[in-house]
Amino acid sequence: MPTAELLSPILIMVLCVIAGLGTIMLLPGKHEIAFHRIGGVILAAAGLIFVAMLPKLAVGNGQPTTAIYFWIFSAIGLVGAIRVVTHPRPVYSALYFVLTVFATAGLFVLLEAEFVAAALVLIYAGAILVTYVFVIMLASQAGPDDKPTVAQKMIDYDRVSKEPLAAAAIGFALMGVLLFLIFDRAAGLAPPAGVALPPSGASADVVTVNAPGITQQLGLFLFRNQLVQLELAGLILTIAMVGAIVISRRQVFVAGRISTAGETVIGPATPIDDNPHSIPVYGTDNPRQKSYPQN
Amino acid sequence: MFAIGVIGFISRRNLIVMFLCTELMFQGVAINLIAFGRYHGNFAGQAFVIFVLVIAAAEASLALGLVVLLFRQKNTLDADAWRELKG
Repeated sequence: MPTAELLSPILIMVLCVIAGLGTIMLLPGKHEIAFHRIGGVILAAAGLIFVAMLPKLAVGNGQPTTAIYFWIFSAIGLVGAIRVVTHPRPVYSALYFVLTVFATAGLFVLLEAEFVAAALVLIYAGAILVTYVFVIMLASQAGPDDKPTVAQKMIDYDRVSKEPLAAAAIGFALMGVLLFLIFDRAAGLAPPAGVALPPSGASADVVTVNAPGITQQLGLFLFRNQLVQLELAGLILTIAMVGAIVISRRQVFVAGRISTAGETVIGPATPIDDNPHSIPVYGTDNPRQKSYPQN
Repeated sequence: MFAIGVIGFISRRNLIVMFLCTELMFQGVAINLIAFGRYHGNFAGQAFVIFVLVIAAAEASLALGLVVLLFRQKNTLDADAWRELKG
């Protein structure tokens, strides 16, 4: 076993414990600000020690610029992730998550996955995050009928984290084991088998467009080998859309339930005939169906 | 990054932030998948990441719909507010 002995496991464990302590102190709690700052310093110190321990890991296999970009992106991503978890206010958490997504997209570009990087930015930073921010705003506004105590309560449970010790213990135990495994095995690994992501479009037998890009090859791969899964993905998205609409719409026809027990409204209130003027276009003339629940 | 997501999921009481942390875990997994795909020199990793993205989008929309629903019922986002679901 050609162990280069990159890092001894004990050292990894110690670093994980230190980082876990820092994270515990960083998690929102009922402490003053100095406490948080100490936690941040501890966490940063652990990270720096860890980085300093592995100068041998030339990530870009010989290309210094790639390695530098890798370190920059991963540092940004990790810091953003930590802030996502530890920030007491959800909106800022979401914004830090955007930062993390961008760093991840940068890493993907470094790994020659341009299309996935673009899709990641579009889907996560565009769609999902907008949805998150909308929901946060929707949920953060005080309802019409309640006192400012609701906002107060919300701030309270945002401030105080739940069981930070157990969470950090579990997370960093996991991280320690993973790191140990990685360093144990990575010593024996050959350098990446092919930086040659098949640039040889020779395997693409039918349409050999001269020098197809990564994105094109990815598309070909998807539609040749993964067609069923692709259709399934579309189906799942459709189902999710329908489900989300069904879940989150308001019940409109409540008024019929309240008044006049015994009468059940079956079918549309306005009879549909061939007269185009009788088709309800936007709402109906029936006040029963127009009424929203006043809650 | 996955570990950070786990920590966040366990330790935060805000439902929305919990879902954000699951997305964080997705990120870590996606990085690993792409790196492995690069290592082995094929596109299975990238294709799988695309599917992961699809599922994540679906999951996020459904989960946020659920969160909105829960918020309407209780007017709070505290995960402990639903403690009564414990038997």
